[in-house]
Amino acid sequence: MEALHHILSFGFLLRNSVYTSVLIGFACPLVGVFLVLRRLVFVGVALPQISSTGIALSLSLPLWLGFQATPQSGHTLAFIGSTLFSVVAILVLAFLERRGRGLPEGRLGTAYVVAAAVSILLLSKNRFAELGWLDLLKGEVITISNFDLILTAVTLALVLAMLSLFKKELLLVSYDRAFASTLGKNVVLWDMLLYLLIGLTVSMAVLSVGPLIAFGFLLIPALTAQMFARNMRQLTIFASLFGGAAAFIGFLMAYQWDLPVGPTDIALLGIIYAAVFLVRKVLSLIKPISI
Amino acid sequence: MSEPIITFDNLSIGYNNQAVLSGISLSIFRSSFTAILGANGSGKSTLLKTLLGLQPPISGYFNIATLDNVPPVFGYVPQAVRLDPLYPLTGFDVALMGSYGRAKPGHLVSREERLFVRECLRAAMAEEFARKKFSKLSGGQKQRVLIARALATRPDVLVLDEPTAGVDAQATHTLLEFISQIHRERQLTTLLVTHDLALVRKHAQHVIWLHGGKTLYGTTKELLSPEHMREIFEMEIS
Repeated sequence: MEALHHILSFGFLLRNSVYTSVLIGFACPLVGVFLVLRRLVFVGVALPQISSTGIALSLSLPLWLGFQATPQSGHTLAFIGSTLFSVVAILVLAFLERRGRGLPEGRLGTAYVVAAAVSILLLSKNRFAELGWLDLLKGEVITISNFDLILTAVTLALVLAMLSLFKKELLLVSYDRAFASTLGKNVVLWDMLLYLLIGLTVSMAVLSVGPLIAFGFLLIPALTAQMFARNMRQLTIFASLFGGAAAFIGFLMAYQWDLPVGPTDIALLGIIYAAVFLVRKVLSLIKPISI
Repeated sequence: MSEPIITFDNLSIGYNNQAVLSGISLSIFRSSFTAILGANGSGKSTLLKTLLGLQPPISGYFNIATLDNVPPVFGYVPQAVRLDPLYPLTGFDVALMGSYGRAKPGHLVSREERLFVRECLRAAMAEEFARKKFSKLSGGQKQRVLIARALATRPDVLVLDEPTAGVDAQATHTLLEFISQIHRERQLTTLLVTHDLALVRKHAQHVIWLHGGKTLYGTTKELLSPEHMREIFEMEIS
């Protein structure tokens, strides 16, 4: 209770980290739902890693160009790099997926390991960036400035607004592309919008909590809610609630027991997933359920 | 006979510049019930995709007649098995998609449209599936919901892509009777893709028969007459 009181108090030193974690926790599952339903789970693995390569490249730029970046400009550069890499990567990966040639899993696996290797190579030669990068990899959500928090909140509010506004179009092109075309919908345009929103959310999440945690928040809440949701509204609301709740409770537990925040969040999401799975199994043994 | 609504003129269709069917020249008439018949791989789906604008033709052209300068609306019924069961959608959610063509982006579907979708579900005898999960319905039940969705588009042309695939014999019979009934009552131009000769003989007025890279077109009576069919199959054997 004391830890909870600390976290909720206005003077709490890490309050920006709490807010950012919870924002990411609520927002990532909203786009994660589309990754799960479109069976693009592997894209969810590769994309945060590629996004983090964008950050690594941005952090290396000042060194290569011979200037010292302020924390503010460094963060802006990282935001641009992360967003650019995620958006371009998801567009290319989705295009290749649609063409249906080659081995998609192989392509995504290659993209994932190459992106990880390039990130390490870039940062191994950058003594300023390496430290921050390691924090990011571990999912240490500690140094969040007011500017970072506002940038995260504004970006995620934009994503949320677009998803709510165009939910029927995004659902239609995801579920039945051919039918959407016969209704005169520009399926390529709606696909692009969805990928842009996924790319933006991923880049924001990677920038704040790192690639591993971003992947966890993208997929586990959506997969958990998918086990029992009876309609799209339930799926998105429950996925978002699981993500937000895990982010807050995870932070509380990490603060209480001095654990890294990101991995605590993901372990908690894993426990929620297992619990829902078990409850569902037990219920189906007692009475066959049609969910 | 009424005026043509769809006209193919020396049309070649296929993928990556490889023609599956060439030299298609025929007209589909308003309010007619036409079956597209052919074995697997004969080009039925390619013809359908081209007609629906999902696949560009390789050469030639096809014309779709407008109604008061408004292009006709296609009520497309895909095979239910092609829709991913992962989506948590109820029968009503799926049928509601039929109204999305009239709802502007960023706008909610109006109450009137929702009521109309309920009417379409009722007309397709699928009202009881409205609250059930679509992925848990049987093949025939799913097809009824998809027909309700197509009716919710307020279609000028109803296009059904093998609606009886994966549906048992009894449900197939009921479903086709129902499609015929809609066609008669609403005078709806109907295009049915199938490989079931018996169904075509019973329900369709015209047949487009895709056979051995050729396109044969005529009334059901003349094209599916024993003499004509013997001629076609002998042609194949020789």
